[in-house]
Amino acid sequence: MNFPKSLQLGEKIALELVFAQPGKDEGLLPVNSLLTDLAEEVAAAQPPPEAISRGLSLAREWVDDALVAGGFSASLLGRLSQFVSWLPVALRAWELDGLIPEVPQAAGNPPMSESPATLPATASAAALPSDEMVLNLKDNEDLLREFIEESREHLQEIELGILVMEENPEDEESLNAIFRAFHTLKGGSGFLNLGPINRLAHELESLLELARQHKLRLEPHSINLILGGADALKALVEAIQRQVSGADAPHPIRADIQPWIEKIQQAIAACQAGKTAEPSRSSPTPGFTPAVVPAEGADESAAAGNANSQSKQNNGIVKVDTGKLDSLMDLVGEMVVAQAQVTENIDSAAAHNQLLARNLAQLRRITNDLQRTAMSLRMVPIRGTFQKMTRLVRDLSAKAGKLVDLQISGGDTEMDRSIIEEVNSPLVHMIRNAVDHGLETPEVRTACGKPAKGTVSLRAFHQGGNVVIEIKDDGAGLDRQRILAKAIQRGLVQEGQQLADRDIFNLIFQPGFSTAEQVTEISGRGVGMDVVRRNINRLHGKIEIDSRPGQGSKFSIFLPLTLAIIDGLVVSVGSERFLLPTLSVRESFRPTAEMLNSIHERAETVNVRGQILPLLRLHEHFNLKPESRDPLNAIIVVVEAEGHDHCLMVDRLLGKQEIVIKGLGPTFQDNHYLAGAAILGDGRVSLILDVNSLVSADHLQAAVG
Amino acid sequence: MSANLVEPPLAKNHSGAGKYLTFILGRETYGIEVLKIREIIRMVDITVVPQMPGYIRGVINLRGKIIPVVDLRIKFGLSRAETAERTCIIVVQVRTAENSAMLMGLVVDQVEEVLNIAKEEIEETPDFGAKLDTSYLLGMAKVKGTVASLLDIDRVLAAAALEQISETCPSAA
Repeated sequence: MNFPKSLQLGEKIALELVFAQPGKDEGLLPVNSLLTDLAEEVAAAQPPPEAISRGLSLAREWVDDALVAGGFSASLLGRLSQFVSWLPVALRAWELDGLIPEVPQAAGNPPMSESPATLPATASAAALPSDEMVLNLKDNEDLLREFIEESREHLQEIELGILVMEENPEDEESLNAIFRAFHTLKGGSGFLNLGPINRLAHELESLLELARQHKLRLEPHSINLILGGADALKALVEAIQRQVSGADAPHPIRADIQPWIEKIQQAIAACQAGKTAEPSRSSPTPGFTPAVVPAEGADESAAAGNANSQSKQNNGIVKVDTGKLDSLMDLVGEMVVAQAQVTENIDSAAAHNQLLARNLAQLRRITNDLQRTAMSLRMVPIRGTFQKMTRLVRDLSAKAGKLVDLQISGGDTEMDRSIIEEVNSPLVHMIRNAVDHGLETPEVRTACGKPAKGTVSLRAFHQGGNVVIEIKDDGAGLDRQRILAKAIQRGLVQEGQQLADRDIFNLIFQPGFSTAEQVTEISGRGVGMDVVRRNINRLHGKIEIDSRPGQGSKFSIFLPLTLAIIDGLVVSVGSERFLLPTLSVRESFRPTAEMLNSIHERAETVNVRGQILPLLRLHEHFNLKPESRDPLNAIIVVVEAEGHDHCLMVDRLLGKQEIVIKGLGPTFQDNHYLAGAAILGDGRVSLILDVNSLVSADHLQAAVG
Repeated sequence: MSANLVEPPLAKNHSGAGKYLTFILGRETYGIEVLKIREIIRMVDITVVPQMPGYIRGVINLRGKIIPVVDLRIKFGLSRAETAERTCIIVVQVRTAENSAMLMGLVVDQVEEVLNIAKEEIEETPDFGAKLDTSYLLGMAKVKGTVASLLDIDRVLAAAALEQISETCPSAA
């Protein structure tokens, strides 16, 4: 039995679940096979841990059912996400010979028979009700929600602060920030009668108070204690969240914090006794189930990267409902339209009236500034996401036994909030890859003449209207030969075929492609890079690889600044106007008679510099009355869809402009020709066409007749 | 020309009694509960959405929000009318199948007034069998010497969603 390996398997399951959606079977097979591996791993242990095996077989039953049903259900995803948060806790508890908590039971499932291991826990819990939290959902729901939201932020702040402290133990500002965060948590939890959170936060606060008085030096042991304590608090907050959101049926939450409290008290006592706290490996008090046990001996030599900018105070932030933001954007857009109309109407009069002209110009300036500011409200710096990676690298490097220096730059680069949220899991995946596969072990590195400590750098910057996120490592680089061999073996590439480096590297995006020698390592099952690319494509971005043997690899992700704005070409057909995303437009021209041809007098073609492309008359397709039915009087727009070019016939080109995409709502969700709508300069709505479905419907009709 | 109707919400009872906005389609009078109505705007340019059933006229820009517009005359199988001076759009808030609220515009010939309709004034809708589906009518109200059909607007437009699926197959041009 290999603990890190089991933990890694658990993490991979969690990662697969991140991408899973109810009603779809994406990720179901990988989860199933990962669970099988994990079960084998657990069964190999002597003696096999009953509680873990039981939890695993339950999860496998669920997944089996889902395989029969052909996809995840929402309730299954809920149960599985509880399962994956339970799994590492259980595994750690087992590793330390602690008592293993039972797998959380979803509402509606028959409770499992209690294992002998949990019986004493239940018994003593009854004797010590202070270890339970009962939520008064009816009266406190709003307050609880607020508490959860705030606690998450505070815990994040604590985590980041601690990582700064690890690098620089003298950083008073971070120390104070952590102290304040625990203090606030203590206050909030006391108010809401969440005893265990309150007590644990209190102990941690006391520990930090000693540090503030310079009586305690924050060395690895106490830092681990604080991080672990914060994790335990996080687990409790998430448990509360599950009940508040209705994912869990209301029940008292068992909080097994006693081991933590004891450890912290020991550390405090040791410090007050005038010596530094000894890393103690006290076994949990009998009768208490350690829900969260500190990960002992986490390798402290692994540097956590520089997050120094974190210690800056963030001043004056207001949380706003995104719905309100959206309606502000809507209204500002309308104001720009109204301003343009007013200006247009008065312009002639303004020619004779200097004051009016000046005032109008002023109005225009203010409106434009207002629009820019409103747009920027949705933009947030990517720093928060980057900083989460600091913790990830710290944990990963400890597990993989590698020395890693994570360098972060460009954290101030701003992007649309929704893109930042979506880019998080691909980033996690790629950072994992960089640490696991990219970097070599210290021994190998030294042998190659490189510094023992590897560097992973994470960088964000603007480039030509895009944001680029770059993940670079100075490890071994991608192995050209092995990728090629694997591709030939899988029949993706013919033997003897000459490929450019770039094409070879792109092979790793093929589903199920993996070259890792040990497939059971943290990553390397090939269930990753294809998902990463799919996620990035969904954001209208792209990913590029550059790699040199022995020098490392660089992955660059190109993303648009926002999903809300695109460049569009405005075309007209009869009295209607449509928008085509400029990205999919290749060119446009007025055809000559020699270019046009037809097949059976039905299917029409256009010869564009020797290429015969199908012609789609937009007016026929949409049943509109055009200005002219003769293509010689019309405009042909060549669009690219799914790798092929097609010609669209429209009446006129009206121009190119930046458009703010708006959704059309459920009424039009079955109309696949529409990608959304936008409001044009005159205040009227114009539809954005989905070029892909337009031309695929074109194929369909041509085939039918 | 928008007139926001800010009537205080009445205690809602399911007998159908309450405040209704009445409007005219052809020679018939209809009523919609005032609580469902967000505002009334004059007729504006409607952007046609291709390949939708006839009664979905298209979409309009309501102060930056894009909302669908349904022509109630066509929805109810009456003849189509040209836009006249009194033609207007009633913006209602309806519940969708997913039980979320959305705004929709209804093109009507003319808006009449807001009436307080008592329980005694409401008759049950007669049963017309297969000839006419009346499941979306709350009842018939006798008002001012005429009869107004009271619409359960959520159901009128929910039925719209169903029909739409069967009708939107691309018409081979």
